[in-house]
Amino acid sequence: MNAPAASAVDANGAPAASRRETLWHKALWKLRRDRAGMAGLAVVMLYFLAAIGVWLGWWATGWAEVAGGKWEAPSAAHWFGTNLIGQDIFARSVYSISTAFEVGLVVAVLATLLGGVLGALAGFFAGRFTDELVVWLMGVLDSIPFYLLVAAIAFAMAGNPYAMHVAMISTFWITTARLVRGEVIKLRQLEFVEAAHAIGVPEYTIVFRHILPNTLHILLVQSTITFVAAIKSEVILSFLGLGVKDGMSWGLMIAESTIEVLAGFFGNFLAASLLMFGLVMAFNFLSDALQDALDPRQVS
Amino acid sequence: MEMLQYSLRKLLAGIPLILGVTLVSFLLMVYFGPDQTYTLLGKNPTPEQIAEVRAQLGYDQPFVTRYAGYLRELATLDFGSSHSTGEPVSALLGRTAPVSLALVAPGFVLGNVLAILLALLAAHHRSRWPDKAIMGLAVVGMSISFLIVIVAFQIVFSSASGLNMFPVRGWGASSLREYLHFVTVPTLAIVFVSLGYNTRFYRSVIVEEMTRDHVRTARAFGTPPARLMLRNVLANCLIPIVTRIVFSIPLIAISGSLIVESYFGIPGIGKATYDAIMVGDQPVLKAVVGLTAVLFVLAQLFVDILYRAVDPRVSLQ
Amino acid sequence: MQFAARVSLGFTAFLAAVLLAGCGESRTPAGDASAGRKVYRHSMDEAPSSLDPVQAANVYANHVAINVYDTLYSYKYLARPYELKPNLADGWPEISEDLLTYTIRIKPGVHFIDDPAFEGGVGRELTAEDVVYSIKRHFDPATLPQGAWLWQGRVAGLQEWKAAGSDYDQPASGLVALDRYTLRIQLAKPYPQLLDSLAQGYAAVVPREAVERYGAQFAMRPVGSGPFRLVSFDTSRILLERNPKFRQEPVDLEAEGYDPATQGGYGLERIAGRSPPFVDLLEMDFINEPSARWNSFTKGDEVQYTTVPNEQLDRVLASRSPVRLKPEYEERYHSFAAIEAGFIFQVFNLNFPEFGYHPDPGQERRNKALRCAIIKAFDWEARNESFYGGIGEVYPGIIVPVVPEFDPDTPRDSITRDVEGARRLLAEHGWNAQNLPVLTYGTTGSVVMRLMFEQFRAWLKEIGYPTSKVVLRQYATFGDISRAWKQSELPWIAKGWGLDYPDAENTLQLFYGPNGSPGSNDANYRNPEYDRLYEQASVMLASPERTGIYRRMNRMLIDDCVAVTGLSRKRIHLWHRDVIALPDREIVGGFFLKYVDVLDKPAAGGR
Repeated sequence: MNAPAASAVDANGAPAASRRETLWHKALWKLRRDRAGMAGLAVVMLYFLAAIGVWLGWWATGWAEVAGGKWEAPSAAHWFGTNLIGQDIFARSVYSISTAFEVGLVVAVLATLLGGVLGALAGFFAGRFTDELVVWLMGVLDSIPFYLLVAAIAFAMAGNPYAMHVAMISTFWITTARLVRGEVIKLRQLEFVEAAHAIGVPEYTIVFRHILPNTLHILLVQSTITFVAAIKSEVILSFLGLGVKDGMSWGLMIAESTIEVLAGFFGNFLAASLLMFGLVMAFNFLSDALQDALDPRQVS
Repeated sequence: MEMLQYSLRKLLAGIPLILGVTLVSFLLMVYFGPDQTYTLLGKNPTPEQIAEVRAQLGYDQPFVTRYAGYLRELATLDFGSSHSTGEPVSALLGRTAPVSLALVAPGFVLGNVLAILLALLAAHHRSRWPDKAIMGLAVVGMSISFLIVIVAFQIVFSSASGLNMFPVRGWGASSLREYLHFVTVPTLAIVFVSLGYNTRFYRSVIVEEMTRDHVRTARAFGTPPARLMLRNVLANCLIPIVTRIVFSIPLIAISGSLIVESYFGIPGIGKATYDAIMVGDQPVLKAVVGLTAVLFVLAQLFVDILYRAVDPRVSLQ
Repeated sequence: MQFAARVSLGFTAFLAAVLLAGCGESRTPAGDASAGRKVYRHSMDEAPSSLDPVQAANVYANHVAINVYDTLYSYKYLARPYELKPNLADGWPEISEDLLTYTIRIKPGVHFIDDPAFEGGVGRELTAEDVVYSIKRHFDPATLPQGAWLWQGRVAGLQEWKAAGSDYDQPASGLVALDRYTLRIQLAKPYPQLLDSLAQGYAAVVPREAVERYGAQFAMRPVGSGPFRLVSFDTSRILLERNPKFRQEPVDLEAEGYDPATQGGYGLERIAGRSPPFVDLLEMDFINEPSARWNSFTKGDEVQYTTVPNEQLDRVLASRSPVRLKPEYEERYHSFAAIEAGFIFQVFNLNFPEFGYHPDPGQERRNKALRCAIIKAFDWEARNESFYGGIGEVYPGIIVPVVPEFDPDTPRDSITRDVEGARRLLAEHGWNAQNLPVLTYGTTGSVVMRLMFEQFRAWLKEIGYPTSKVVLRQYATFGDISRAWKQSELPWIAKGWGLDYPDAENTLQLFYGPNGSPGSNDANYRNPEYDRLYEQASVMLASPERTGIYRRMNRMLIDDCVAVTGLSRKRIHLWHRDVIALPDREIVGGFFLKYVDVLDKPAAGGR
């Protein structure tokens, strides 16, 4: 968390840098004292470790194998029992953690990046063509119902496994961009920006070297919010058959569960809902804590 | 007069937006979108028959012609007939939109009203235990997937392993009793899911308002809490609240609640749209997307005018 | 605190109101329309998309089409195997010696329902001209017809009529109304299934006035002469009411093929001598999710019929073979286990050089070995257990059990799992993990389809097929995957086929060379000997000789390792005890509905 502040120190940005430094220090101090937030962070890290383990092939490697009979009850070998074709539900739910992180990270990082850049450009050039264009684009994408847009993108990309990611990114960047745009409009009237202007620093350098770093707190908070939104949307999209293609995810498990809960088999439903609930809740607490720490003016 | 001018200008400014939405959605949903040819073919089709079907559906027309046709349909509000059922799209919308509205409205209203009440309560006790409890529960509520809520509610309220009090699915609204019978479980699910988000939003709006001077003054003068919260705080929060509500309406009225409707088998606009996607029924898709866009623009216009009417400081940008 | 109290009070009041609404004692089935009328509530897993007979392409559409319209012939209510009977036709046709000319008489005095489309709003009499018109519509591209394949190249003159612009005022040489009640069909070559084709929903008789008056909306607004007429229709439910003008035809149970030994317990004797339809309102609920359908059925006051969803089988059945319900279900419901008239199967697309035909004969032999090995890897028993409740019937080849040509003695090695044999075969032909081709498995997004893929991939792994080489390609809709099949884009095709008529020809044509993509021969199987036999058999009436030819063709398909086949699902139909019926959804679909009767509710106090 120190990196952004350190890298932002340069000759003409000095006043801003020191301002930021104290902000980040204060934030960190505040965050550490937020018990719910720290608990959230710990749980998220735990999940993240689980995901790394899956990526490295340490566990849940047998998620695709047929390891038992149909709908076996929970046992020492299969903690949540087996599914319709005899796969181990626990392995599948753990494997799904990596899917959740993959979807969450890809979408959160790219959507935040896109939102930050476009928002900053729009804000800096507020009232000019670039701004109009970005605002128009936001309006256009906002006006198409989310699930319709995703379905449409899934079609247009003809079964491409990243159709879902593209669809989410193309809608989730908008909120971030709006917030960044508003912040930048305020920032650009500050002295250090005017000073940079005065000594002839090129406009794009000002945006990316001096202004964007000052919106980092927004980007950080937004990326956690986007992460959660991505995981939750993935579940619904996969349920509708528009999400994860090859692989396994909580959404697919819940979809599986709809064909078995009434037969009295709750393995898929419980495993997927519990794991997902834990991660999403932890993220929500973390996100709240970050917001409290970084954006003191926002009262929520 | 000035207001009228302003409104007209805003309306004109909405045109590029509508053009944008129609272009994007046309490209995605119609041009590259689902192709109904292969669901309309008989067994053992010949290449000629495939070509005939494509021609009947107009797929063989060039892009510009088809897009222009779409704009014309949007301008005249005449979208023709559904390719799969032959039902006129206007009749389909007229049949399904009220159902969606009736389905979502109670949940929407309750979700917002309850959220505002809870938010007032939380804000009133800011940083004390009721606030913490409500906000904690809001986070818990926000963390449960809609899908899980629906499945769980169906098991609890409508299955033999639960209370078994309400129908599993379906729709009917010929009497109040029947309506309540069908709408209850979806409503509970909608309220459950939206409550967390709404409460947080409204609480932040209200808390912000409460820190203002006029509220402090009123409090200092000993205004009773309920009166203070309602008259001094809530009344002044109306703009953000109305904005949020107005912007939700086009989505409800047009795209409905796709998941609720398909899971509960309710013949609303969400299900109709989803079915249209699944079979590639383009006239229906075109109408839904186009109308949503138009409604959105109108909602924006409404909010802008409202802002201006309430708060003269808002500039005419 | 005052404030909190008020909030919680309001909330409690709301909850109370809601719960009260839920506890209401009366739950009317079809809403207000049902008061005092006899109602039967059927359920189906999907809604028909169109009610226009030219688009009656599936059982769902047929359930409606043949109940609101009339067909010349029909299948007997109770006879199994299925048998035809005259319906709108007045008896059997006169058939010429050369089997090329059919003369069919139509019952006089049959009227369409009253509708504003007719002069004076009163339904006019149905004539032979209407039959001609209705079949011609399949050769008019403007109606987006789906049934032309039934008559194309078989009934003379229709193709020419279409080429000349599909003008209904022009005659088609092979399809002529000789007078008001006589129809003559001239065939280009013998067509033993002609009468079956006239029992399809596709052949339902529609009045020209209504088609022309309602245009595209005709698909939502049927105007027919069948036992029922439409009240309302949307994607969740259709409501039909008894057509008061439907002709009086008392049921002759014996003629319908009633078998007291197997069908004795259903109370069917009650309908003998009475004229259908017996219910005033026929409602069909379209319920996708099996669980929702099951819940609705078991509630008791909603739908009165369902098939048992697979996930409920263990709960419901005391024994699977023979199918027997547990006493608590037996007591409450009637049941009937019916094997489907159709099957599910997988084929290799032989157009793909990595699996099928290859310019190099050596490679082609190796490809065949690969196909045979994959067939050996396929575990029909597990597939049946996981997805078909373990009650499906698995058999070799493509002649399905419901047709009379089915041979129960076909050797079963092609459906017996043999992992060792498969590995050996691969090794003998030089296949190994490095040189095995990528197998792209296309599927729609449904979770069941995905699980089938995962199961298949796990089996292939056991014969040494690397998991990374069995690749899923997901299609958003059934239309999309159909396009991929028709355009020959997938090397492996998993699909089901529902029989249009009870004749093995209907499945054997799936491998007839000239039917290659985009036709129904998705495998693009081309075997001159097979094609020759098909052409020979296709003009023969049913006979032991024809059955022999069918079985030889079946053998060829098995020997060539073209398909992994097959399984016919068994459905357990359940219906409430107060419903008098023998439900069935096979062959056309829904022709039993007009015979459904419902007992009056017993007075309060009974169980």
